[in-house]
Amino acid sequence: MKPARFDYVRAESIAHAVEVLANAGGDGKVLAGGQSLMPMMNFRLVKPSVLVDINHIPGLDRIELGPGAVRLGALVRHRMTAQDLQVARHIPVLHHAMKHVAHLTVRNRGTFCGSVCHADPAAEMPMMTLLLDGTIHVASPHGTRTMAARDFLTGALTTALAADEMVTAVDLVPPAAGTGWGFEEFSRRHGDYALAAIAVLMERADGRVRNPRIAMMGIADTALRLTAVEAALAGREGRAHVFDEAAELIVASITPNTDLNASADYRRHLAGALARRALSQAWDRAGALSGGDTP
Amino acid sequence: MTAFDASVEMRPKLVGQRVKRTEDPRLLAGSGRYVDDMAPKGLLHVAVLRSDQPHARIRSIHVGEAFTVPGVVAIFDAHDLAGDIRPAIPASRMKGYYATPFRPLAEGKVRYVGEPVVAVVAESRYAAEDALERISIDYAPLPFAGAKEEAAAGDAPLLHEEAGTNVIIARTFARGDVDAAIAHAAVVVKGRFRMTRKTPMPMECRSYLAEWDRRREALTLHSSTNIPGIICDVLGACLDLPGHRVRVVAPDVGGSFGGKGSLNHEEMLVCVLARKLERPVKFIADRMEDLTAMSQAFDETVEAELAVDGAGHLLGLKADVIGDIGAYSIYPWTGALEPVQVVSFLPGPYRMEHYRGRVRGVLTPKPPTGPYRGVGRPTSTFAMERLMDMAARNLGLDPAEIRRRNLVTAEEFPYRTGSGIIWDRSAFQDCLQGVCALVDYPALLRQRDAAHAEGRWVGIGLASYAELTGIGSRIAVAPGMPINTGTETATLRIDATGAVTAAFGISSHGQGLETTLAQVVADELGCRMDDIEIQHGDSALVPMGTGTYASRSAVLGGGAATKAARVVKAKVLKAAAFLMDVAVEDLEAEGGIIRARSSNATITFRDVAHAVYAQMGCIPHAQREDLVASESYDPYLGTACASTHLAMVEIDPATYAVSVTRFAVAEDCGRIINPLIVDGQVHGAVAQGIGAALLEEVVHDDTGQLLTASLADYLVPIATTMPEIEILHVEAELPDTIGGFRGMGEGGTIGAPAAIANAVADALAPLGIEVDTLPVTPERLFRLVAAARNATSD
Amino acid sequence: MTHAMTLTVNGLTYTGVVDARLLLSDFLRHELGLTGTHVGCEHGVCGACTILLDGRSARSCLTLAIQADGATIETVEGLGRMSDLGRVQQAFRDHHGLQCGFCTPGFLMTITDMLRHHSLDSDAEIREALSGNICRCTGYQHIVDAVRELARERGPLK
Repeated sequence: MKPARFDYVRAESIAHAVEVLANAGGDGKVLAGGQSLMPMMNFRLVKPSVLVDINHIPGLDRIELGPGAVRLGALVRHRMTAQDLQVARHIPVLHHAMKHVAHLTVRNRGTFCGSVCHADPAAEMPMMTLLLDGTIHVASPHGTRTMAARDFLTGALTTALAADEMVTAVDLVPPAAGTGWGFEEFSRRHGDYALAAIAVLMERADGRVRNPRIAMMGIADTALRLTAVEAALAGREGRAHVFDEAAELIVASITPNTDLNASADYRRHLAGALARRALSQAWDRAGALSGGDTP
Repeated sequence: MTAFDASVEMRPKLVGQRVKRTEDPRLLAGSGRYVDDMAPKGLLHVAVLRSDQPHARIRSIHVGEAFTVPGVVAIFDAHDLAGDIRPAIPASRMKGYYATPFRPLAEGKVRYVGEPVVAVVAESRYAAEDALERISIDYAPLPFAGAKEEAAAGDAPLLHEEAGTNVIIARTFARGDVDAAIAHAAVVVKGRFRMTRKTPMPMECRSYLAEWDRRREALTLHSSTNIPGIICDVLGACLDLPGHRVRVVAPDVGGSFGGKGSLNHEEMLVCVLARKLERPVKFIADRMEDLTAMSQAFDETVEAELAVDGAGHLLGLKADVIGDIGAYSIYPWTGALEPVQVVSFLPGPYRMEHYRGRVRGVLTPKPPTGPYRGVGRPTSTFAMERLMDMAARNLGLDPAEIRRRNLVTAEEFPYRTGSGIIWDRSAFQDCLQGVCALVDYPALLRQRDAAHAEGRWVGIGLASYAELTGIGSRIAVAPGMPINTGTETATLRIDATGAVTAAFGISSHGQGLETTLAQVVADELGCRMDDIEIQHGDSALVPMGTGTYASRSAVLGGGAATKAARVVKAKVLKAAAFLMDVAVEDLEAEGGIIRARSSNATITFRDVAHAVYAQMGCIPHAQREDLVASESYDPYLGTACASTHLAMVEIDPATYAVSVTRFAVAEDCGRIINPLIVDGQVHGAVAQGIGAALLEEVVHDDTGQLLTASLADYLVPIATTMPEIEILHVEAELPDTIGGFRGMGEGGTIGAPAAIANAVADALAPLGIEVDTLPVTPERLFRLVAAARNATSD
Repeated sequence: MTHAMTLTVNGLTYTGVVDARLLLSDFLRHELGLTGTHVGCEHGVCGACTILLDGRSARSCLTLAIQADGATIETVEGLGRMSDLGRVQQAFRDHHGLQCGFCTPGFLMTITDMLRHHSLDSDAEIREALSGNICRCTGYQHIVDAVRELARERGPLK
């Protein structure tokens, strides 16, 4: 298990990095944390001709709270996201989700943007990016562009990123004040890829669910934003049977895969069970934030 | 009556103490020396192209431009090695058995995905892997039967045509009339129990380095093996080298659990290549290769029926076992080791008159099964202990009570089981009572009942078992195997500086035998532990030594060490008596100092040794003897080691995840040499048992491909999987071995799967669910619960 | 393609030329002869190859040697010597936290990082901190015992 030959370039800048990618004619790969890429290279499942190491490009390792968005640069490691006080305050659901990302040593190196680019259907960051209406900032030799997360994630381990492009940052929209959150994940062992997970945001007014957002992973080729379920839930009373119905709707609407660890049937069951828990959690937390508005 | 040796008992200096391990400083400082840490000058690296077919004829091999890869030195297939090495034959005296020849590279056809076909030798592993990508093999796929039941059918495609069948092992053990017992029993419970395939997964992958000495025309293999003596003997035979020109050295070895306890293709390969190329040749398996092609484990289905009378007494047991032994009968243990052990041990530690156990070992296109911690008994205990709980439930008896009524009692020893195993002097009943007392069993039951009342899925499971350890020459460790596994030799020497060297044929690979054997030697000889070096893991150390396996090393090695130390001590005291001019009976030795009881005069071991070796004429030549001895020990019958495990689990009804909330072990391993090490062995073995119960499973799909080729897919326990394990050491009447030692180390893997299966079944008892397949994964539980709910709603 | 590089390992500076694809684990073991760092899976799961890279634990099998150009590396050899074990090493010995010793260097380096940077106030936190390292021998119990003692000595994280 040794990687095949490749050329290595330590990029000085974003412009340098994308220029090398462009010259690689589609065979280049960006190396950030390397926690997903390097195993695939060691297995020789991925054999880039050029590896562009972006770890020394200045300025990419910042988490910045801007107007209406938190921006995570391409070198923001999972550890930084997990420990960032602004993330903890403004996006508590993301702060919580970080506990489920692999193990502490992997979090020391792995990056938020790298995980989004890797687009594993059972990894947390793509799901959280969908949940938080993420915007992907992309650079290429031709300039920069942005993409909505839902357009960026196109399938299992595939994205809309062109061969000469790299992700420079991801913007996440912090939930409005008073938003409750729920997060449930199940994996065989702590830190393993999830068999299924769900993240939920909702507000609460007059005993009713407002502005629900639901994202799931492990139940399709990519992480999913469940907009139909969100629509069905919006405006409903925050009661157990309503959340049960939403969970049933989720179970009915997904078509998970069968793999080594879980059949489609079990995954459907799991999705429903986790959804019930996460929806209730979000409702309860929203209640806590809006000051005793109980149904 | 005291069964133990009085001379040890009177001076319990080190044996019995929590002595810190002598191995540790080097391993902690990064100064250990594992095979891959060695890099002799001129070293070449091997990478192996493996079969991607489960069963196929090799039409042709295209090496193409692989030779042009920079750094490539040579490329070999089986034809290139013809005449250089003979196959190893895993012989056995079993009737109707076929010994499949075992070669370094596949010849003519391949029989499992992962079987080595082509070897590339290069200046680096990186270059060798580059070359692999440029070699192609043209296969003509052959039909195959992947499932053992299909492979056993008369019309199944044959993996080894010469055998004429895939069923190369078939045996029956019987006593009494089990059919009559079943016909007349008040209660009969039955089940079809399946323990899926596992892989031992030691942390260090298999590692081999062969060096050819041109001057002596001699071969040295540095191998991550735990059976250097056996490997040395078979390599000598295959390569036509006498014993003094082949040596197998196991340096620090990063675990085995049985996975490094058999001959491997690549072990043969590096030897033949080193001799051919006259350069050092190294093969270090990567994790994918170990998960794909290391010997695997278990993989049996047990159909069993247990007959019980109205008072819960066992009457008889009938079982049909079919074992998937993979594509080859492994050297030296044969494919019989694992499945035959299942029927041998199936009656368990219980009193029961009638038994019939039939077993078949079937060839399938998978890696061979071989030894893995527990061997056979994890499966037999799982099946029998499930049946015990099913019978208890049927009769309305508590699981502890039905065991109490049937465990062989101290008065009944020696007790011969229906399969012919003799249990003697072991704390069967005490372990059951001990574990129940340790956890306050009645309180635990109340806790469970309260949880059930809340609708929670909480359960308690017990598992009692016994194993044979430290087996002597009466029975071979593997059925019919023509290798002497019943004796062990220790060669003990004091040199002119007073330093003590004790050399063994055993081969420690994590058990801490350098520490425990030094404790035994120090106590017996009366010297300091610091003065002793324990040597092991080298075929050149003693004339005959097989290695460390089957929980034998403390019993056999400790016994041989004791005997050799006694001889050397007598020589030391004799010389000291002369030097001090006192009677030898007046002398005693402790901490390296010999003292005359009558006068308190002393002399050190060092001074005695100096006088014996260095001061010419100091001791008259007629009386002078070298301070050396070589003694072997054969415990003949071996010892029984008993235990009861208790598990408490809770199942999450949303995810079907099983959490082990309590785990307790009461075990009797005889006189304990080092409690620290014994506890560590119990913890580690229980972890592997919990892995077998909840996580671990090697999966081949219908096309014969392996689906669990990475550690993201083959799941072993991690720190968060494990509960705190509570241990109670029960010391019953000691066995009739030197020192009173019993073997230990495998037991956790034997008891834990059954205890957890019983606990899960107990948790789901309100739904009437029985657990018959391990690991009991969330997926399997989901299906069991869904089926039970459908059945109730129908 | 080869690259010149300079790095500091356990306080010593090395300069040399490496192949782009050489893994840091192989570089440490086979180029520098620091064979205390072990290779257990080469896909980032087992943790045996864990080292400290600029003060934080990292999988050396998922790091290229060239990535360590200009970096500071700590390996098990830097923690202490046989005759003078470091504190984490000593705790492992006292609690019998190792058997075959193969996973041990990775655990020692991970724990060194955790003691510097992470809360280890409960057994649950300790087990979570250890969850990225596989030990096949000990069942983790004695390792947890060792870390509990080390965490107690350290006190709450500042």
